[in-house]
Amino acid sequence: MRELSYAEALREGLRQMMETDPSIFLIGEDIGVYGGAFGVTAGLIDQFGGQRVIDTPISEAGIAGACIGAALTGMRPVGEIQFMDFVTLSMEQLVLQAAKVRFMFGGKAKVPMVLRMPGGSGTGAAAQHSESLENWFVHVPGLKVVMPATPYDAKGLLISAIYDDNPVIFVEHKLLYKTKGDVPEKPYRIPLSQTHVVRQGQHVTVIATSIMVTRALAAADALAKEGIELEIIDPRTLKPLDDAPIIESVKKTGRALIVHEAVEIGGFGGEIAARIAGSEAFDYLEAPIRRLAGLDIPIPYNRELERNTVPQIENIIHEARKLAQTAY
Amino acid sequence: MATAVILPKFGFTLESSRIVRWLVNEGDTVREGDPLCEVETDKVNMEVEATADGVVAGIQYPAGADVPVTNVICYILKPGESADAILAPEHASAVAAESAASTPAPAQPSTSAAQKAANGVPINASPLAIRVAEEHGIDLASVQGSGAGGKITRADVEALIAAKDTPKIRATPAARRIAAENAVELSTVTGTGPKGRIQGTDVTAAVARKPAAVLDMPSAPSSAPEPTPGNRVIKLEGMRRTIATRMQQSFQQAPHTFFEANIDTAGVDALRARLKARNEKLSVTSIIVKACAWTLKRHPYLNATLTGDEITLWSDCNIGVAVALENGLIVPVVHKVDGKSLQTIQTEIDDLAARARSNALRLNDLADGTFTVSNLGMYGIDRFTAIINPPQVAILAVGRAVRQFVPDEHGSPVAKSLVSLMLSTDHRVVDGAQAAQFMADLRLVLEDPMLMLW
Repeated sequence: MRELSYAEALREGLRQMMETDPSIFLIGEDIGVYGGAFGVTAGLIDQFGGQRVIDTPISEAGIAGACIGAALTGMRPVGEIQFMDFVTLSMEQLVLQAAKVRFMFGGKAKVPMVLRMPGGSGTGAAAQHSESLENWFVHVPGLKVVMPATPYDAKGLLISAIYDDNPVIFVEHKLLYKTKGDVPEKPYRIPLSQTHVVRQGQHVTVIATSIMVTRALAAADALAKEGIELEIIDPRTLKPLDDAPIIESVKKTGRALIVHEAVEIGGFGGEIAARIAGSEAFDYLEAPIRRLAGLDIPIPYNRELERNTVPQIENIIHEARKLAQTAY
Repeated sequence: MATAVILPKFGFTLESSRIVRWLVNEGDTVREGDPLCEVETDKVNMEVEATADGVVAGIQYPAGADVPVTNVICYILKPGESADAILAPEHASAVAAESAASTPAPAQPSTSAAQKAANGVPINASPLAIRVAEEHGIDLASVQGSGAGGKITRADVEALIAAKDTPKIRATPAARRIAAENAVELSTVTGTGPKGRIQGTDVTAAVARKPAAVLDMPSAPSSAPEPTPGNRVIKLEGMRRTIATRMQQSFQQAPHTFFEANIDTAGVDALRARLKARNEKLSVTSIIVKACAWTLKRHPYLNATLTGDEITLWSDCNIGVAVALENGLIVPVVHKVDGKSLQTIQTEIDDLAARARSNALRLNDLADGTFTVSNLGMYGIDRFTAIINPPQVAILAVGRAVRQFVPDEHGSPVAKSLVSLMLSTDHRVVDGAQAAQFMADLRLVLEDPMLMLW
């Protein structure tokens, strides 16, 4: 199959949907002539023009608000927040408006919008351009949260998100944009709320999101040489969460390690851990559920400190090995 | 820093010890190795020795207190060190620590009025709570009060006592589920996880050792594989694995002792001859099973099972009879032998053996054995020793009857038929004299089978 980068897969998904559906348009900062801070929308303005690829001033609340308004009138907008950190400026629009309109109007109005944003550290962009804030949105009733880890998932999930009638927070990762993978040319959808077992193994279940899926797979390769087989699970959609495959897997392995980049306290890992502990998988646990996640500090600018703030492959190897050996 | 002296674990199974008396007072100077107090264990009284040179301080339990092993009983201060160096006891709640400043309990059982902190502030507790605490050697400073204004009530103290009395079993959820599914007592399982936590795999291993592991039996034990040239490799699985695991466990864990007696079979032979004349069959095994039940009634320590820390003396005599199969062996059980006639026992043993060979035994046929008889006499074996069938504590190995000359009371040779009975016992439960007395009574009843009527 043909290989595309994560950014190319997203772009192809956007282009193919815009070609078939005139209600879809893009709006964001520098997404037109410049092609987006990470190049996802490069060239789209040439094909679709400034009416459907709209450059805005630095105005995150405006981008979110425009998307909501357009969606209410029947459009399917795809907004872009240049760095996830600045979605903080859109919170009123997203939390109080986008998330609540459909409910408060008794289902008579709907908000079919997608807001794309790159999160994550690793680029030396320091504390205000490196955050992983996905769990803020998981906590809000009315929003869906999607976090693809591969080019294949990025395209399939984006198309599903565009055609979902609810506001979808679509969290990309800066370090994933250049990663490559097989992507079918024809448009396809990956249903939201469909957890994916990425790799089978019988010793430890590793639930990872976004770039941590990639790191967990590398850790699994290393540990396989020691005879430790990790089962890697990627929820892909954090909300609504399809937890059945996670519970099934933990019933098989008896051990669960949850890995995400976002800060551990208040992070999505706590939700996963609680789902496991509250399910029938509890009776199969052979060790405490473990979390491996970001430190409770702003992301440092210094490269070495930055690297040590979020889980790396060697950290996952270490934690998973200890779990497999019942060292906890 | 002050050295904490803990109550040592004097034996594997020891959970707690009672402090008989203190040999030192707070403020006494001791050298490492000096006796500090005398404690009572399940076997003998022992002395707890000082683990450092220094001054005794902060005695945590009065004489008479029952102390869980590894709890701190007192501290030894370095010369010049003040009693402030003593850390708050681990179990003290923050509130108690704050109000009572890590008060050590008085060295001697105190009067109600004496239940106060070292700084003289009385502890806020009901009189009943104080009495109950003193009876159980509980330091009230370590109790968090739930009553009005933080007052310590009797319920608070009793909750602490209950918590101390039930040692918490550390086991993973998986271990608890597997134990429940297989009716395994977690207290009988040894944990291999961190700090001895019981893992699911530990329980699975314990289940494999249980007698009920009959489910492991291959469905067709009689179908022999095709003979092929060269060596054959047979997987250690199914019944073979069950036998391997259980026999290894028994021989490694149970200290076996052996007691042989050669028994004159004249009485048994006469009884069998009379029945044969009436066309009735009575096997040597059946009469030995009956004789064993008769004897076990008089020696209950051999009619027992050992599980964890508990010896169960069974009221019924459920005697297993080892039956050889083509690919292994199985031990069906004749239940309540003591209440059954020889005829019934014979019928049951014939039925069990036939069903064992046709693989038609039920779980119940294998359950609750309290003693086992293994007879290899028909193979011409003179004598042999058998491995105890756990959790039972004794097994009888029967050899063949051999005619030999023995001197009579005048020293003249008399030909007698003698059979070797070899008893194996688990010395954890059965001592030598008990085993010997059992064998003496077994000889008595087998040499004079009429006694079975008694």
